[in-house]
Amino acid sequence: MMKLDPKIPPGPLETKWDRRRFSEKLVSPTNKRRITVIVVGTGLAGASAASTLGQLGYQVECFCFQDSPRRAHSIAAQGGINAAKNYQDDGDSVGRLFYDTIKGGDFRSREANVYRLAQVSTQIIDQCVALGIPFAREYGGQLANRSFGGVQVSRTFYCRGQTGQQLLLGAYSALCWQIERGQVTMRPRTEMLDLVMIDGLARGIVARDLVTGRVSIHTAHAVVLATGGYSNVYYLSTNASGSNVTATYRAWKQGAAFANPCFTQIHPTAIPPGDAHQAKLTLMSESLRNDGRLWVPTMPADHRCPGDIPAGERDYFLERRYPRFGNLAPRDLASRAVKAVCDEGRGVGPGGQGVYLDFADVIGQQGLDVVRERYGNLFDMYQRITGEDAYHAPMRIYPAPHYTMGGLWVDYNLMSTIPGLFVIGEANFADHGANRLGASSLMQGLADGYFILPYTIGHYLATAKLTPVGEDHQESRAALQRVTSRVSRLLNAKGCRTAASFHREVGQLLWNHCGMSRNQEGLKSALTSIPALREEFWRDIMVPGSGEAFNQELEYAGRVADYLEFAELLCHDALHREESCGAHFREEYQTDDGEPQRDDSRFAHVAAWEYREGTSPVLHKESLAFEFVQPTTRSYQ
Amino acid sequence: MARPSNHFQSSVGSKVVMALSGLGLVIYVIFHMLGNLQVFEGAHALNGYAAFLRDMPILLWTARIGLLNLAALHIILAIRLTLRNHRARPVAYTVREYRQASFASRTMAASGLVLLLFLIFHLLHLTAGVIDPSSVDRLDTEGHRDVYGKVVHAFQNPFIVALYLAGQLGLGLHLNHAVTSSLQTLGLEHAAFNRLFKAAGPAIALVVVLGNVAIILAIFLGIVRG
Amino acid sequence: MKFTLNIWRQKGSDERGRFVTYEAHDVSSGMSFLEMLDGVNQRLIVKGEEPVAFEQDCREGICGSCSLVINGIPHGPDRGITTCQLYMRRFPDGAVITIEPWRARAFPIIKDLVVDRRALDRIMQAGGYVSVPTGGAVDGNVLLISKDQAETAMDAASCIGCGACVAACKNASAMLFVAAKVSHLALLPQGKPERTSRVKAMLEAMDREGFGSCGNQNECEAVCPKRISVCFIATLNREYLRAGVVEPGLPAEPESPHAESV
Repeated sequence: MMKLDPKIPPGPLETKWDRRRFSEKLVSPTNKRRITVIVVGTGLAGASAASTLGQLGYQVECFCFQDSPRRAHSIAAQGGINAAKNYQDDGDSVGRLFYDTIKGGDFRSREANVYRLAQVSTQIIDQCVALGIPFAREYGGQLANRSFGGVQVSRTFYCRGQTGQQLLLGAYSALCWQIERGQVTMRPRTEMLDLVMIDGLARGIVARDLVTGRVSIHTAHAVVLATGGYSNVYYLSTNASGSNVTATYRAWKQGAAFANPCFTQIHPTAIPPGDAHQAKLTLMSESLRNDGRLWVPTMPADHRCPGDIPAGERDYFLERRYPRFGNLAPRDLASRAVKAVCDEGRGVGPGGQGVYLDFADVIGQQGLDVVRERYGNLFDMYQRITGEDAYHAPMRIYPAPHYTMGGLWVDYNLMSTIPGLFVIGEANFADHGANRLGASSLMQGLADGYFILPYTIGHYLATAKLTPVGEDHQESRAALQRVTSRVSRLLNAKGCRTAASFHREVGQLLWNHCGMSRNQEGLKSALTSIPALREEFWRDIMVPGSGEAFNQELEYAGRVADYLEFAELLCHDALHREESCGAHFREEYQTDDGEPQRDDSRFAHVAAWEYREGTSPVLHKESLAFEFVQPTTRSYQ
Repeated sequence: MARPSNHFQSSVGSKVVMALSGLGLVIYVIFHMLGNLQVFEGAHALNGYAAFLRDMPILLWTARIGLLNLAALHIILAIRLTLRNHRARPVAYTVREYRQASFASRTMAASGLVLLLFLIFHLLHLTAGVIDPSSVDRLDTEGHRDVYGKVVHAFQNPFIVALYLAGQLGLGLHLNHAVTSSLQTLGLEHAAFNRLFKAAGPAIALVVVLGNVAIILAIFLGIVRG
Repeated sequence: MKFTLNIWRQKGSDERGRFVTYEAHDVSSGMSFLEMLDGVNQRLIVKGEEPVAFEQDCREGICGSCSLVINGIPHGPDRGITTCQLYMRRFPDGAVITIEPWRARAFPIIKDLVVDRRALDRIMQAGGYVSVPTGGAVDGNVLLISKDQAETAMDAASCIGCGACVAACKNASAMLFVAAKVSHLALLPQGKPERTSRVKAMLEAMDREGFGSCGNQNECEAVCPKRISVCFIATLNREYLRAGVVEPGLPAEPESPHAESV
């Protein structure tokens, strides 16, 4: 029976982390050399964890499916990274960052975790500066900040629009140092396909060398998953096409609880899908909403050019619904409002999927040059993708899946329900609750990797009884067998549909029934269609080529197979959570004017799901106690 | 302990040595051209200049040996780097389009080879007098060796003129990229001077080639006579 | 729209490659170049043929995965973008498009249009970092960095490691890649303590990996998706000369880990 023990240290919030660090057992330097840790994924969390563990003296084996650790998808994060430095003296503090994050997450995250995140945020900036990350500076030479994501203080540090890239390259450079020192063995183009469990502990992984196709067992004393989120289950998302759920999903099937999978963030300002062949949605910076106004025609199916629609026949729907925040309403509310007007048939552009983001007013008031200076690169990007000139006609935008707050359940020490399996970064569920604030994902990834996991994993390694295990252990061989039989099953189906066609179908299904807004009927219908689609997949999938060679289609088909199972878990969770909170909006639970209704009496808990073979997943609840903040209603009207 | 020579064996180190030796040769080529322009002042001036140089045998031979060494170093390193560069791309592109790399910069090895062949010919022809012994070692009215007469005699032959013009083409192409490239290799880069550095190569190439070609054509077209 | 594609197909690094011609039908002008290739591949898969292997990931021009030489130019006809940011409206209907992989000895072909770029990682491992352990860093504002300096460092640091500079260089040199990292760190006070050993180690690694030497032809700059300037190559050369004067001779010894506990 699964037991969820969050292992939160007792006592005042401010000293929980200090006391945990003091009470932790340490591993002696001589012993560290004999301990191997596997880190899967080299994004912000993975690269920072692997490099820090290597520097501490552990032997680290680090895996990524990309050709280089530097290509992990953290690289694409644009906006910035939050830290409670209060360099601007505008009233920021650890406490305020903590409160903003808890509130932004709609009171569905753990207080202790979030407070610790806010505490280490300041160290992250110092560490990154020391690594040579060229953060934006003021003329006086100090670090510059900007305000981001609708908060009232300027606490976001940034490197132009490439903050994720610079932070990742910093972590990657630290990783390079440890590789050079021989502390980290890097295995690029190697994909984790299963977890090796021995005596109930995570003791290794099964990985496939993507170049030679060789499937092999890698054993270790502990396994760290830093494999990112699963937005790609929707097919069209802002994630890199390689981002996938396989590692965390395989760990789930081995007994790790999966928490809050239905908390998926939809970003409001992406460029709308153009045609059926589109494989990716491109994010436009949220900053566009500072000056752009969102509108749709008042009449459904109005196909006139936007310029021909008079002011009286335009509906500035965000300004109408949220007069106080207007076009700057938070991500989840804005996304849902866009979907609502498109569902009424008032969407614009191909397929009616899109709303106008209009700069005519600001251009009229402040001039073309001001707008060009502020958003020039974004307008260029828009033109390159759509071929349209946004200076003269309004942009079209549409929401896109962007980030997943849900992930494998972890305790305060970032360990999953499987002893020895640690989960960090977007792959875990811990810190963002039901909705993530802008510029917080980079903060969380680096906090986990640089400052939290390296401490907490030491305690586990110092206290667990870990006998030597090898590749020939029967459990290792069983895991290997699971992987090879799955690979051959994919190759031998020899059907006539491509993996992409199934992926698109399951993505569409989820987008319709478990996307920005969900209802019982839709979720139930999805839960019946998904198994049918999955059956068809295994009957009709076509994967050319062989397993003993570089075979991208085989990699992809394996990931799609996991999406087809994971989609069900997502729907189960969304069905169970009979409330609207954060990014999760259940149509049955809204006020008369369409605002979400949270239900703290029934759902102030983390929904952690346990895998059971052949039956529906089993729900376990970790109740969330709010000792230090009082849950309030998020109102933006 | 430290051995600076190691530092110059790497690809960048070799390039630095090439840049320095190349710049040395460029300076020589400029002075060579300026000296030869005295052909326009008549036999007296040019032969006197030649005699002046010959009167300082130690300096002359030091300069000659120095130049030969510079050229040898330049050529050996060029061959080494070129071979290395060929190895760096064993399979060529089937379709290739250049966007910014100039023709001159892409043909440095070829123009260098043309230049080398021309140089050998030039030394055999006018310095050693092997090609056309008829005009060697004659003396002018003042008892100096008649360099002027030798040059004027040489450039009346259309074949020799064609060869020299081809040589100048090679020289111009080579210098066009070489000077700017050397400055870059030596790390000379500054926002205030970058345009100057960029212009230096084409400008020097133009001046040297124009000067040399002027001499050749002036004689061939009979503007300068014996 | 309709296109004729000449695509380099090669089964593995030791096999011989050749061009195969494919027709791309039903292409819309709003499609990205990679989506057009996706379409070709989908048709191949349904026929049971192996799709064309090519690399891509983020599809927004930042991960540096994509690596196609399109009609003789790395990342195709537009400046300042990666292949994934190239759209089909850029080509006339019916055009013949030749697609080749990055070609360099240091980038062996894995399959079709996919090459092994680990050589770039190894150059980074040789010294493309500041040896600073986690924890114990001083406050971020202790060392002041002028805005200009930070911006120039950022210009250099924006390299995405795609390798287009190598692909475009007549000599298959990785100088722009090395220059970007050396300049980025040399410009910042945090990178200064190791600048001498860093430039030597990285350039040695570049030579060891079999890249060519720099011809200052500047083709790298012209294809760089992040428009990194060749001025940084001059900076690299300067750093290297400086290293020769400051501390000539021996390359940096890699430190041995745990010296303290032995």
